[in-house]
Amino acid sequence: MFRRSFHRFCAAEEKRVGTRTVILGNHPVSATETYIAPRFCDNRIVSSKYTLWNFLPKNLFEQFRRIANFYFLIIFLVQVTVDTPTSPVTSGLPLFFVITVTAIKQGYEDWLRHRADNEVNKSTVYVIENAERVKKESEKIKVGDVVEVQADETFPCDLILLSSCTRDGICHVTTASLDGESNYKTHYAVHDTNALCSAESIDNLRAAIECEQPQPDLYKFVGRISIYNNSFEPVARSLGPENLLLKGATLKNTKKIYGVAVYTGMETKMALNYQGKSQKRSAVEKSINAFLIVYLLILLTKAAVCTGLKYLWQSNPHNDEPWYNQKTQKERDTFKVLKIFTDFLSFMVLFNFIIPVSMYVTVEMQKFLGSFFISWDKDFYDEDINEGALVNTSDLNEELGQVDYVFTDKTGTLTENSMEFIECCIDGYKYKGVTQETDGLSQTDGPVTYLEKADKNREELFLRALCLCHTVEIKINDTVDGATESADLTYVSSSPDEIALVKGAKKYGFTFLGIRNGHMKVENQRKEIEEYELLHTLSFDSVRRRMSVIVKTPAGDILLFCKGADSAVFPRVQNHEVAPIKVHVEQNAVDGYRTLCIAFKEITPDDYERIDRQLIEAKMALQDREEKMDKVFDDIETNMNLIGATAVEDKLQDQAAETIEALHAAGLKVWVLTGDKMETAKSTCYACRLFQTSTEILELTTKTVEDGERKEDRLHELLIEYRKKLLHEFPKNSRSLKKAWTEHQEYGLIIDGSTLSLILNSTQDSGSNSYKSIFLQICMKCTAVLCCRMAPLQKAQIVRMVKNLKGSPITLSIGDGANDVSMILESHVGIGIKGKEGRQAARNSDYSVPKFKHLKKLLLAHGHLYYMRIAHLVQYFFYKNLCFILPQFLYQFFCGFSQQPLYDAAYLTMYNICFTSLPILAYSLLEQHINIDTLTSDPRLYMKISGNAMLQLGPFLYWTLLAAYEGTVFFFGTYFISQTSSLEDNGKVIGNWTFGTIVFTVLVFTVTLKLALDTRFWTWINHFVIWGSLAFYMFFSFFWGGIIWPFLRQQRMYFVFAHMLSSVSTWLAIILLIFISLFPEILLILLKNVKRRSARSPTFELPTLLSYKHVDSGDS
Amino acid sequence: MDNTSQISQSRLPDSTALKQQQLPAYKLQLSATKVLTGFFITGAFCLGMGILLILSAKSTKEIEGNIYMYYKLYGFYQNLNPYVVSRSNNQLMGRDVKDVGNCDPFSKSHNGTPIAPCGAIANSMFNDTIILSYNLNSSIHIKVPMLSIGIAWWTDKYIKFQNPSLNLPSTFAGTTKPPYWPKPVYELDEENAGNNGFLNEDFIVWMRTAAFPTFKKLYRRLYRIQYFTEGLPAGNYSFNITYNFPVTRFQGEKSVVLSTLTWSGGSSLFLGLTYTVTGAVTWLASFSMMAIHLMLNGRKTVFPQQKSEDSKRKAENTEMDSEVNGAKDV
Repeated sequence: MFRRSFHRFCAAEEKRVGTRTVILGNHPVSATETYIAPRFCDNRIVSSKYTLWNFLPKNLFEQFRRIANFYFLIIFLVQVTVDTPTSPVTSGLPLFFVITVTAIKQGYEDWLRHRADNEVNKSTVYVIENAERVKKESEKIKVGDVVEVQADETFPCDLILLSSCTRDGICHVTTASLDGESNYKTHYAVHDTNALCSAESIDNLRAAIECEQPQPDLYKFVGRISIYNNSFEPVARSLGPENLLLKGATLKNTKKIYGVAVYTGMETKMALNYQGKSQKRSAVEKSINAFLIVYLLILLTKAAVCTGLKYLWQSNPHNDEPWYNQKTQKERDTFKVLKIFTDFLSFMVLFNFIIPVSMYVTVEMQKFLGSFFISWDKDFYDEDINEGALVNTSDLNEELGQVDYVFTDKTGTLTENSMEFIECCIDGYKYKGVTQETDGLSQTDGPVTYLEKADKNREELFLRALCLCHTVEIKINDTVDGATESADLTYVSSSPDEIALVKGAKKYGFTFLGIRNGHMKVENQRKEIEEYELLHTLSFDSVRRRMSVIVKTPAGDILLFCKGADSAVFPRVQNHEVAPIKVHVEQNAVDGYRTLCIAFKEITPDDYERIDRQLIEAKMALQDREEKMDKVFDDIETNMNLIGATAVEDKLQDQAAETIEALHAAGLKVWVLTGDKMETAKSTCYACRLFQTSTEILELTTKTVEDGERKEDRLHELLIEYRKKLLHEFPKNSRSLKKAWTEHQEYGLIIDGSTLSLILNSTQDSGSNSYKSIFLQICMKCTAVLCCRMAPLQKAQIVRMVKNLKGSPITLSIGDGANDVSMILESHVGIGIKGKEGRQAARNSDYSVPKFKHLKKLLLAHGHLYYMRIAHLVQYFFYKNLCFILPQFLYQFFCGFSQQPLYDAAYLTMYNICFTSLPILAYSLLEQHINIDTLTSDPRLYMKISGNAMLQLGPFLYWTLLAAYEGTVFFFGTYFISQTSSLEDNGKVIGNWTFGTIVFTVLVFTVTLKLALDTRFWTWINHFVIWGSLAFYMFFSFFWGGIIWPFLRQQRMYFVFAHMLSSVSTWLAIILLIFISLFPEILLILLKNVKRRSARSPTFELPTLLSYKHVDSGDS
Repeated sequence: MDNTSQISQSRLPDSTALKQQQLPAYKLQLSATKVLTGFFITGAFCLGMGILLILSAKSTKEIEGNIYMYYKLYGFYQNLNPYVVSRSNNQLMGRDVKDVGNCDPFSKSHNGTPIAPCGAIANSMFNDTIILSYNLNSSIHIKVPMLSIGIAWWTDKYIKFQNPSLNLPSTFAGTTKPPYWPKPVYELDEENAGNNGFLNEDFIVWMRTAAFPTFKKLYRRLYRIQYFTEGLPAGNYSFNITYNFPVTRFQGEKSVVLSTLTWSGGSSLFLGLTYTVTGAVTWLASFSMMAIHLMLNGRKTVFPQQKSEDSKRKAENTEMDSEVNGAKDV
């Protein structure tokens, strides 16, 4: 929707490529150049869909694009145009109702959006125009305007920071509303413009900004500002994301800033990011559509059969036109073909109620209202973040009950992501714990080999490296402006590892005190303050897996400190240093700690100059800046000296192990996808019982698939070998996988990113397929799979691979970080954890919960119930409409296929809207056939509904047959009773409408009581709506028959209902027919209960539904 | 739908029973004894009711009490849709005699005069006269007194059907009789003004269209005077039927039915039989369920091992379906 409006408001797509030039203040840069102001879109945010005048046509168009609505519209139009037996009102009214309700809902939502838009668009901003501060509405900002923003205000559009009115030209912003990261981020002004701190001086600035066309990535921006200082050549400065202030972010800790608008309105990064998520459709919805097709076929068949039989019947002239029912002149004149066609349409109209118009409304209402239960659930409330669960889409509630595969991230999902510095190793010597002495590190009482400590200098170097090599910031309280050497420094960073390291260094006496004017202050063990000039930060990214800083020591030396994953650091240091540290790193990894290696390098001034130049050059590049930067970084971070390594513990989340066990027991396959290294991930997996001690681990890692040359052959061998092993273990009848888990040896698979890409992108064309299929076969047979060293995209790749397996299993991804977003979006259900790494995952997810442990209740209880409820809802809807329309169909055989309706028009209309809709809605919201505690405590119950069990052919046939049986009983029961005896007192006979009303009464009671039989959880609401509906039916019938309605042509129902009930035999007949209709259902339920009650111990008793899949767990 | 959960944001959700899905609820607990008892009682009720109905049907002597005379038509489709709608309620309610609504093809005569009562239903009204005579002996035939009023629904007679005014012939001036009728509507019962015109009960009964092609309609009811205070005395009777209504033209048949009523209305034999059968089946079911129940209970105590073995096998079978198929390339 945004895209569309984007196109409407802005220039065409091709403008996106290339760059745009923004002239500061829209002043011509120089008098000589002719300046044509390019057209950019205004700063109006339009998130609304409709305007007042286009609401009706547009909304109607959108609604009738839905196939069901369109179908009903067609039926309605047929009724209006063709002379059909039922009045157009019968289908027009429900359709009108549905359309109106939906339109009102959408209109209201749009009105809310309009209001929100206006709030943003009409907010006041200050723009510098002609050296004056002009108050304007936000929507009036044009690209190129210089905007003044005060502290705690949000930026009205994307701005390039020109001046922050501080000496160092920095400002702090928080992007909490954009990506949920609440830490303060520092943004920098261009040096040359920083001094301009008044409206006049800014106004005199002549500059042009060249930058890329708007793109949605929040963290990417490349641009260049050219500043024209009078007659000199323009000075060019590079602009990066650190210069760009995003719309929606808030200015903090800075009095005011000046910035120039580069992207406005719908072109801001926020607006580009705010797009409707791709529609995920649940399996249940697909089933509904399948059923719909079946019923449509039934409908067409019925109509065709009736039309055919009608003409067969009429081939007898006595039937065609008996003397008492002569044709009108018009009928005689119509062509036969046209008549046949009209008849066919009329039959369609007569039977069209078989496809329930109200089902869509009910399903939507059920989903919408039902989703509240998740956000209302107290168990999902987490005190730490003061939040509960969040539902971003209500379309997938039932999918939570259908999950086959769970893909989980490790860090922050299985683990707390609150890091604690555990130990470190310097030059191969291990340090652990905190010492009392201030002058040095104490050595642990570890193995005897570590008798000596490392060299003092090395220790200090190591600790300084920890203090310097990071991007941690100090959260400044507003009042503090002096020294901040207080003990309660709060560190803020996007990575908890870094905080742990800085805190770790502090424990050993080196305290990081913050950055001031590009100088990092560190307090050393002797309480002296050392200042390092921060020259460059080579920021972290997940591909390089390391980061570096280049600092200038107080002594004037230039040092590079680098920290990163061992695999990223070891190849770049002197070889001889690696061995002793590697031992530690590996040991730490086995213990489940996250390890980082620290290296340093001295840079000679000459070298530095070159590096500096390269870096600046790369930063200035407008095209391919990323690649160029990477290349430069790569060149710099070589030939370093390894100092040591750190070990940081990431604690397992509360109840992570229990949750995984429960998921396993529920028959789900849990895959851990992590970017972490294998050993760490493996130990976490053991800790959270993904792998048991008895599990045999199959490894497909770079370690097992070593040497470069024959990698693929070796991989092939391994794959074949593992497959053999597994196939041997699960021979031919291995179809019962779940069962096998309990009896056979369990297998776990570990694979790492590089091996995975080897398998997926194998160069051998012929071999690649077989690799992948062998690999998948292995995966299928393993209880648990651990994929480590995964890039975010690979995570999504794995999810897609599993998603596309035969039988298309339902996948669920759960993660907390930005790196999990791709997999969250890829899987059927995406769950975000409101973690410490920002809110990106939660924002992109379908549901978000505070902790991993909440997954258990979310799936086992909520998912199960939602699925059961909606499945029952769908089946019931089709059932009740088949019951409803079958007698009408059968009646055609007795009325010469003349399309005589059995029921009165009011009944046809009201049946789905009023008489039978509320009980099923209440049922589908409140039913707990098994109570929530039992569901959570016995995960095996989840298997009962796996594979869309309640909407398979079996249950569908059961419901359909039941409906067919009941419909037949209604009709023929009433037929025989009415034919053999007069159902009337005083011998007065009944007519066709009374007959129809008897059938209808039996029908309404039967379908409502059938629901009552299925209800296991009788709250007052259920009682109210079930008995209330029946009472309403009685009341309505009396009312409807009690008045001569002036707008009706035929008073066919006049006193029919009252008259009907005045006869005792009618009562007896109705009661009998209801009982006979429900008899098989009751019998089956009772039979099941009697059997199960006897079979099971009394402690484990569960009432079941008939359409439940029968899975007895092996250990009953 | 995206704003569903704003409510819960940054707050502890309310702990009301509804929101926590903890509403007090009655959980249906079916124990075997309860179930069987319930079934037993239902069966007993059905059986009892059935037997009662059958007995009352049997005990009723056909010639005693209120006797109703019906005519019965076979193969006459009063339920054809064009036929059913071919009437004008406005006319029949006396609001506007010339309103012929959707009476086609019997709305107007050839010269354009509106027909009253118009429409196919009215036009095809049953017009045989049936006279029942009691043959006291071979020479004396007593005409059984029959009432032609009180045979239609009360609401039909007094609300749905109204003559426009009391002076019938003038009221119907400007209209013509239905083409198949021998005489106009205001001459249907010239002896009884309250039974004439649209208020004629034979007419009203006919206008309530029957649900099926074989139907009977109430024609007369016994006027219980003289010989007939107790009903029809035993003896010989004869029908004198004036044949007007053509049934052979639609390959139909017609017949006359004399019948009486029971307390439940109509003949209750079929209803009684159905009740009895249902009751019997219910009892049968409850007996067999009891047998199953007892058998399973017994087996459970004797072979507990066997039982769990069984269920395991069952588990294996069912899990076959849910197995993940081998990895085919995607």
